[in-house]
Amino acid sequence: MTSPRLAFLFVTPALLFLAAVLGRPLLQAVVLSFQNVGVIGTTGSWVGFENYATILGNTAFWNAFGRSALWVFANAVVQTIMALGVALLLNQKFPGVRIARTWIILTWIVPTVVVVIIWRWLLSTSGGMINPLLIQLGVIDRPVGFFATREGAMATLVMINSWRWFPFTALMMLAGLTRIPGDLYEAARIDGAGAMKRFTRITWPLLQPTLLVLGIVGTLLSFNVFDVIWLVTAGGPSQATQTLPVLIYETAFKGYRLSEAATISVLTSILLMTFALLATRAMTASEEAR
Amino acid sequence: MKVGLLTIAGLTSILMSSAAFAEPVSLTLWHMEQPPHRVQRMQELLDEFNKAHPDVQVKQEPQSWGEIYAKAPAAFAAGTGPDMLFAIPDFTTVIKGIDAVVPVDDLAKDLDAKHGFVPATIAPYQYDGHTWAIPAYNMAISMWYRNSALKEAGIEVPKTWSEWKAAAEKLSKDGKYGVGLPANKQLYTDQTVYALMVNGGAADIYNEDGSISFDKPETVASFEAYGELQKLSPPDSTSWTWGEAEACFASASCGTILQFSVINTYETQAEADAADLGVAPVPHADGQSESGTISYSNAIMLTTKDEAKQAGAKVFLAWLMEPANYGRFLTMEPGLFLPVTNDGAEAESFWSDPIVTKYKSQVETMVANAKNGKLFGFTTGKVFPSIGAISGQNVIAESLQKMVVDGQSAADAVKFGQEKMSEIAGK
Repeated sequence: MTSPRLAFLFVTPALLFLAAVLGRPLLQAVVLSFQNVGVIGTTGSWVGFENYATILGNTAFWNAFGRSALWVFANAVVQTIMALGVALLLNQKFPGVRIARTWIILTWIVPTVVVVIIWRWLLSTSGGMINPLLIQLGVIDRPVGFFATREGAMATLVMINSWRWFPFTALMMLAGLTRIPGDLYEAARIDGAGAMKRFTRITWPLLQPTLLVLGIVGTLLSFNVFDVIWLVTAGGPSQATQTLPVLIYETAFKGYRLSEAATISVLTSILLMTFALLATRAMTASEEAR
Repeated sequence: MKVGLLTIAGLTSILMSSAAFAEPVSLTLWHMEQPPHRVQRMQELLDEFNKAHPDVQVKQEPQSWGEIYAKAPAAFAAGTGPDMLFAIPDFTTVIKGIDAVVPVDDLAKDLDAKHGFVPATIAPYQYDGHTWAIPAYNMAISMWYRNSALKEAGIEVPKTWSEWKAAAEKLSKDGKYGVGLPANKQLYTDQTVYALMVNGGAADIYNEDGSISFDKPETVASFEAYGELQKLSPPDSTSWTWGEAEACFASASCGTILQFSVINTYETQAEADAADLGVAPVPHADGQSESGTISYSNAIMLTTKDEAKQAGAKVFLAWLMEPANYGRFLTMEPGLFLPVTNDGAEAESFWSDPIVTKYKSQVETMVANAKNGKLFGFTTGKVFPSIGAISGQNVIAESLQKMVVDGQSAADAVKFGQEKMSEIAGK
């Protein structure tokens, strides 16, 4: 058996499993998107592309799409900076580095609801710790509502979500860093390269494959985040944090427009699958070029 | 041979029918009273009922309000729904919309004759010629404060909006907030805003013909008053639900709040000084003479088409409403759940609870306030299906956010609410 056929044979069980658990719901969503079902469990009639016309002409959809794009970008930037810093630190040799590498994962394994309760309490103006701390440090002169304004709510949510996810990203980057041969750094040092030059000429280029994979996985994961947003702001204030997953939930289960929610889901799936396909091709091309 | 077969068939038939008769009716009750102490009290009551009624066995399956709007319709569609389901008025319209609830006209009539329902508690469940649920307990928003804080500031309990604002301004000092009003897009904000709307003459959001009547001067005035008070609230109140308001009051950071009850948190997390805890009707507009409020009666729907199960459920509900049992049901959360029946309001089993005894004057005030309660979408005697989506999407709260967060005028915010409600009602 040739190598590609053998490879296909190995991935077939996984593909069948995915088809069973994802294919059918996705197909149902597509069927629903061509109907006019309201409350879950009821039936509807065939309406063709009416829902697609409604959704694509709806500003709420495009606003949520814009917020999702902002959410993904902001999370990517913040998480990459936080994770890279921590990964570089954990790649050094110092006493307790193994404990630190294990300890760092803590925020990632804590259940989302616990993370949300912790942060809501910390940021509260009634008994929270952050406001008094900022007042003592002279940063603010009176308590502020971190979720009181549109910009503040989105920025605070990005910080909470990044705090939760950056350890995972940091560990992935750390794995990438440990694969970089140490003799490259040794040779660079002998040639007189400083820390910054070693980072820009060795670490950063050789970390690219890891960052590319993280970029794809991270984008897909970030885009689909619902729990943190829903539990902290429920899409507010005044829709400021209403991303596409939140809009889908609100449309289906608060507005009782299941078919419209299914339509947004289908459009979102197409968008994410296109992104994944293009990103994977770019990654393959990049590997082949190397 | 033929006679023998007939005899065997006859005996088998008798045995089978007697076996069917002996089989107890098993009922599943979904409720949304998730806190462990409420589940425990419910189980105690169910154990007692099941022991006294071997032919009807009821089991509870606690659910969450956050999920039930999606979960219940899906369960009924899959044929795995409960036989009895707790409800609030707008949720009933959703379940009725999928034809999963059966009328309880006779039972409601019998229970009313025997125990006397407080009219405001059953009215939201009576429309389209039927009664769709049996009220179980009532909740009404009141204004909570500390007597000592008002005395120290030299102010009387506010009765009007202008008095309330003046009081809140005086109480806002030393890092404390005179009032704690939410502005989140959430049910709690719907409730507090509507509490002011009721007191500003804007209780009706529907016209008789089902069109929306939200945009009117009374609603705008209510929004303006709310906005003025909200400015004196903590800055993070735009993300508050019930818990944060209670916490703000318990920590004495908020001078006055609108809440169903703060007794539990005040007792367990604050001073627990019953003499200092004040409760009063929600202040009314300066031109009005009497206070009203928003009140929610939670009810129990029958959601089984099986006649034997319906009969069993009626036995259970009749048992639950007996004053000796009903008081213990209400005090699964003492000081929060209020009686919906006249004899329940006098039941020894209710008033003998230690917390209710300790805060008797507060509970009496809450019961009195509840009698003037209204609920948005259920005030005109007609109920329109769109109220489920209007309530579910928190349109009142969303409109308020247009003013509080986006800086729009009260008139524009109310106009937005009118348009959004009309859009929902038109679908």
